[in-house]
Amino acid sequence: MAKDKKYWVGLEELQENPEFIQNSKNEFAPEQSVDDFLSETELSKTSTNRRDFLKFLGFSVTAATVAACETPVIHSIPYVNKPEQITPGIPTYYASTYFDGVDYASIMVKTREGRPIHIKGNTKHGLNNGVLNARINSSVLSLYDGQRLQAPMIDGEAAEWSIVDAKVSKALQNAADKNGNITLLMGTNISPSSQRAIDNFKAKYGEEVVKVVSYDPVSLFGIRKANEITFGKSMIPSYDFSEARTIVSFDADFMNNWLLHTEYVSQYAKNRKPTGDWMSKHFHYEASLSLTGSNADVRVPLKASDEGRALVALHNEIAGKTGGSSVSVNTDDLPMNAIKMTADELIENKGRSLVISGSNDPDNQAVVNAINTLLGNYGNTISTTKEIFINQGNDTDVVALLSDMQQSKVDVLLIGSTINPAYSLPNSDDFREGLGKVGTSVSFALWQDETATLCNVISPDNHYLESWNDFYPATGHYALAQPTIGKLYNTRQYQESILAWTGDSTEYREFIKGVWREYMSGIGAEGLLFDDFWYNAVRNGSVDVQLPEMVDVPELNMNAVAASARNAAKVKSVEGFEVIIYANTGIGDGAHSTNPWLQEMPDPISKVTWDNYIAMNPADAESMGFNMHLGQELPASTATVTVNGVSETLPVVPQPGQKQGTIGIALGYGRGANEENIGKAAYRTKQYGGYDMDDDGKKIPIGTNAYRFVNVANGHMNYFVGGATIEAAGGEYPIATTQVHHTIMGRDSVLKETSLAVFKNESQDAYNKPHRLLVHEGGEMVKKDVDKIDLWADHPVEGVGHHWGMVIDLSTCIGCSACVTACHSENNVPVVGKDEVRRGRDMHWMRIDRYYSSNMSMEKGEEMGLGAIDTYREMEEPEYANPTTTFMPMMCQHCNHAPCETVCPVAATTHSNEGLNQMTYNRCIGTRYCANNCPFKVRRFNWFNYKAYDKFAEVNPSQDATARLVLNPDVTVRSRGVMEKCTMCVQRIQGGKLEAKMAGKPVQDEQITTACAEACPTNAITFGDRNDEETRVRKAESDKRHYYALEEIGVRPSVSYKVKVRNTEV
Amino acid sequence: MRTSILLCPIFAEKFAAIYLSSIVDMMQFSEKMRRSFNIFLSALVVAAFVGVGEVSAQDGEKLFKANCSSCHKVDQNMTGPALQGVEERWAGNEELLYLWIKNPNAALETGDSYVKNLYNEWFPKGGLMPGQAVNDEEITAILAYVKNWVPPVRETPVDGDALADIPVERGLDTTWLLIVLFILLILVFSLWSVRTSLNNIQNAMRASEGTEIEAEMSFATKAKIWFLKNKVFVSILSILFVVYLAVSGYEALMGIGVYQGYTPEQPIAFNHTLHAGENGVACVYCHTGALKSKHAGIPSANICMNCHKGINRGRNDEGTAEIMKIYEAVGWDMDNQEYTGEEKPIKWVKVHNLPDHAYFNHAQHYVVGEIECQECHGEIQKDYTVAGQYAPLTMGWCINCHLETEVKMEGNEYYDEIHERLKENGKEELKKYLEDGTITAKELGGWECAKCHY
Repeated sequence: MAKDKKYWVGLEELQENPEFIQNSKNEFAPEQSVDDFLSETELSKTSTNRRDFLKFLGFSVTAATVAACETPVIHSIPYVNKPEQITPGIPTYYASTYFDGVDYASIMVKTREGRPIHIKGNTKHGLNNGVLNARINSSVLSLYDGQRLQAPMIDGEAAEWSIVDAKVSKALQNAADKNGNITLLMGTNISPSSQRAIDNFKAKYGEEVVKVVSYDPVSLFGIRKANEITFGKSMIPSYDFSEARTIVSFDADFMNNWLLHTEYVSQYAKNRKPTGDWMSKHFHYEASLSLTGSNADVRVPLKASDEGRALVALHNEIAGKTGGSSVSVNTDDLPMNAIKMTADELIENKGRSLVISGSNDPDNQAVVNAINTLLGNYGNTISTTKEIFINQGNDTDVVALLSDMQQSKVDVLLIGSTINPAYSLPNSDDFREGLGKVGTSVSFALWQDETATLCNVISPDNHYLESWNDFYPATGHYALAQPTIGKLYNTRQYQESILAWTGDSTEYREFIKGVWREYMSGIGAEGLLFDDFWYNAVRNGSVDVQLPEMVDVPELNMNAVAASARNAAKVKSVEGFEVIIYANTGIGDGAHSTNPWLQEMPDPISKVTWDNYIAMNPADAESMGFNMHLGQELPASTATVTVNGVSETLPVVPQPGQKQGTIGIALGYGRGANEENIGKAAYRTKQYGGYDMDDDGKKIPIGTNAYRFVNVANGHMNYFVGGATIEAAGGEYPIATTQVHHTIMGRDSVLKETSLAVFKNESQDAYNKPHRLLVHEGGEMVKKDVDKIDLWADHPVEGVGHHWGMVIDLSTCIGCSACVTACHSENNVPVVGKDEVRRGRDMHWMRIDRYYSSNMSMEKGEEMGLGAIDTYREMEEPEYANPTTTFMPMMCQHCNHAPCETVCPVAATTHSNEGLNQMTYNRCIGTRYCANNCPFKVRRFNWFNYKAYDKFAEVNPSQDATARLVLNPDVTVRSRGVMEKCTMCVQRIQGGKLEAKMAGKPVQDEQITTACAEACPTNAITFGDRNDEETRVRKAESDKRHYYALEEIGVRPSVSYKVKVRNTEV
Repeated sequence: MRTSILLCPIFAEKFAAIYLSSIVDMMQFSEKMRRSFNIFLSALVVAAFVGVGEVSAQDGEKLFKANCSSCHKVDQNMTGPALQGVEERWAGNEELLYLWIKNPNAALETGDSYVKNLYNEWFPKGGLMPGQAVNDEEITAILAYVKNWVPPVRETPVDGDALADIPVERGLDTTWLLIVLFILLILVFSLWSVRTSLNNIQNAMRASEGTEIEAEMSFATKAKIWFLKNKVFVSILSILFVVYLAVSGYEALMGIGVYQGYTPEQPIAFNHTLHAGENGVACVYCHTGALKSKHAGIPSANICMNCHKGINRGRNDEGTAEIMKIYEAVGWDMDNQEYTGEEKPIKWVKVHNLPDHAYFNHAQHYVVGEIECQECHGEIQKDYTVAGQYAPLTMGWCINCHLETEVKMEGNEYYDEIHERLKENGKEELKKYLEDGTITAKELGGWECAKCHY
């Protein structure tokens, strides 16, 4: 190597860069401790190199293999002393009763290994004939809510019961000693034993001192008040929908929210079949499209403020024809044609009709009473001798209590467990302020909710499935609720708390027994007989007591009615939008808003999940420039509603049928605005999990509290308010809806409907034409029935054993979605949350398709000279003003020639010889070919491991160890990567068959039923064996209305439908 | 064989009891017999005359078992006090004792202090003894039986004990193997030494002869040469080796999750052989769930107490210790014959673990299919002392049985119509089903996915 040559490693050395020279002297990099190295933030950004990756991979594979080879040790702990009636693996049913102030039902609670897992209606006993709704059958989930209060609390700290008792008793005694004021603010109390406990409480602390105020979040005070005005008695009569040939409802959502709706639905459904002797005709006047309104034969959009005038106008029409006196009324803007038609129908069915109103205005209700009197309905469809005791809320008392509280007049306030006044009172700020001035406030709430958080003492009540209770919902009908599981947490029934503070340590069950012993002594259940009577009552869940017949036609106070009618006839509408505040089908008054099953259940009308919104007529929305079409990537526009100084911002959902000039906002949302611990599902979540936070770092509730819009005027609450301004808020908000198409677009082979007139007078071809296809046969084209054309051979054993099938009568389906939640509960369907629903990844095995009518039809398009594409585009748009609505339950059709089965590469979906389309999860590899090939789009793919993935931590109850107790142990919990769908409750079929085999008898019709058929309040869903000639399903198949959805594609479904018939002339 | 060994002592015991009681008989009652010279013959004659009228002590045992044994033991307190020494305790008061047995209320009314004390002590535990329908002679017989009662001879574990057989056999097996292996090793070692010595000698000889010693080849070279010489042998060997690897690998993988033979240690060493085998207790007496539910169920401890309230001793001390565990679990105070209320549930180890996605129903198989428990659980009454997994519980095993098992249609109305339709259907496929005269579970859909997976 020549010495004159210089070698350099880089430009730095050549240029003698000083830093380089310095570094070149340190051959090794400076030492760095491991801690330093690991603490470097950059490290987290580095990626693992290939060798490490392979090492990890190798290690984990080995570890996994080793772990898999080891025998898992699973322990099994049997009873020490097994109760005779419990056999592990076999469900035990308990009769009980559900009442939460809104919903009342006699129920059967299914328990497995001591855990309640499913709720169905009690078909043998009770007022409701087995009817229940989505809220009731979802209520089993709240039992296992880990957010429930687990111990009593004093000033926000967990406390012992003895300390609570001492504190409350002392406060009560002090109040009694100084002759102060002890107030019990309770939801409607229909329990005789609770009443007795409260009476004893009163006796101890003084009749003058203790006051009881009844409060219903959604008040029906107007009815009681009106009866007081017109008949001199504050009461609610019983209504009989089964005898009413003409039903006229003014905004009374009697299918889901109004009074004893569970009973009314069962009565209503009896006469909704076109094949009976007669079919009832249902008129419905309302502003927001409700579940009941969507089922009406004639629905008339009407502003809530015009209801009084419309009622008076109807009264005048009837009075004019039946010889009554009329009251002058301004009939401008009233749908007089409809009112005249209604009046004619009512007069035709005098004494066999029913007019009801959902208004809380006593004046309106008084006019309703007058109309029913004119029609002679009292004593026929309305009985004043059989009263209804629910909805006792007294608005006047509540208002008075508020002012007492604000004047510091209340020493002790006890707040019932079913109500949440700090949330649900329209003037809740006043209530909060007043609560601060109450000496000692005690809440019986189950959750540390808006009200309980502000109370000094929380004495948490048991869940209703852990409690004894009795009820007296209607004259002559007593019901019992019994616990179906031991207490999960350190809670105590509120009645036991009241007894404890009265100095009575009786167990509440014994207390009820004592009260019943007394009540029933007059009806032959005395002495020794009582024990038998009691056991029967507990087993059946309710008892009917025969009462002497009474004269049932009350006398109407004409003067009072005239005064009320003059009030009702006043023009009440004002300039600007009218806000209609309504309780929806799932969330109701807000007590259930933390129930993920109900949040995920699509609203029957709008099909929106997990959200609160402004329902606005599409015409209004269009004129205001709001987004008209919502979808996965099509968010809703937000708007701010301002009225009487209250303003709220919500997304706008264009809602056909909403009366123009009104908007609807559902109650029950906006819970937990101050981050109260009310349950995980009440708050907005981010796209990939975690809660959405506002600028202050607080969790944002879902929707807003619409109770703030409720106004209190003339001593009662009004659930509408006029003079609202609506301004675009400028934002966009994604809405998760399960249905983005609203019409059937002329595909009448999916959904068939007709009018009663056509059904009665014309041949089957007019409304249910069987499909015939052109085929090439013997050298020429012939039309052949679809069921005569076959690509596939029959399954070998077809026609030998059972062939399970289902018939759904669209005439009686009311779209209430009780079947959706029942299926959820029975089949362990996962909750996926708003973001996934928005992406069309909802997991419901059963959906209810809701279709609106459209103004356009193929014929009309041809007449107008529109092209096919334009015609279809028009047909896609529903009628804005007042479309007819049809519901169609849709689940796996269990096709006998199933397209999904032929495309599965691994034979994970196969056909059983009993006609079931079987889905085998452990074989499925998730290609999703089947879902793509399904003409009904009923297959659901598990995109995620919902029970473990972080994204669903806030919404999926199964992420909670306690809430997993609600899972049905007979149904696999599916994991990520497999397809699932309706199995036709194969676990029930197998169970039922086994029962029959063990008894050595053939399977009887109705012995096996699916969860949806069982939950259906109107019995629209019938399940049975199509191979058995005696079954209802088999008989229904020869019905003239019977058809298969998409019959022309020849997949031969096992599920079929019956044409919807509306009681109209055209 | 094991069973018979276990049974022998029982027969011996029974025989001894009969023999003894006959001797007692003769001594007490029959003057004539005592004179007789042939003891055996006389015993037989007495046995023949038992039913004729005389009440004997041999009846004493029967009478005791029929009337007393549900509440009394001879040597231990149970619901009632131990009867041993009852005559001494009531000495001088025999009449009252007889009255007490026949009509306790009447005896109590006499106001006798002993009776009163007895009543005060035992009434809280088991209530008042019901009067027994026995006459004085029969009481005498019972008392005689009690007086002469001899504790049954208990087994002591000995070398020949059936239960200890297997480990000994296994022990022998391995020992023999080891010995053989050891001998082989010695053999190999000696041969190796011989060979080395021979080599050395050869080398030494060559060296002495002056011939050059062959250059030492490396082991690798040697091996190479050997491989080249034996190509066919080596390739066959390697093919066999690969096949062996593949087969054993496949089997190992297929065995993942199969726990055939899994016999975990249980908190109570419940002996199925004893209960279900020797004592002939029906499986469903304890596993009641199999009659109606999908789970046969691990019996709750109160079922154990149906028998073990009375049976508080095992065959040996280990057995007794296991019974004591039941008492601890249910909170049974043996001395006072009452439940303390302190319950400790037993944490059993589950033996049969089906995969989560497979559904199996015991009632379907046991009640409807009339399959014996043993078909899936093995001869548990013979072969298993502690429960173990007999079947592999793999899907192949399940469906193989569905393939072969005939559906029990006879006498079950559920199948009547299905059977009719099957016969009248006329489809080719179905005729095939009927050809062999049997209808298997598979033919009625027992191979369909949703029969077991949902």
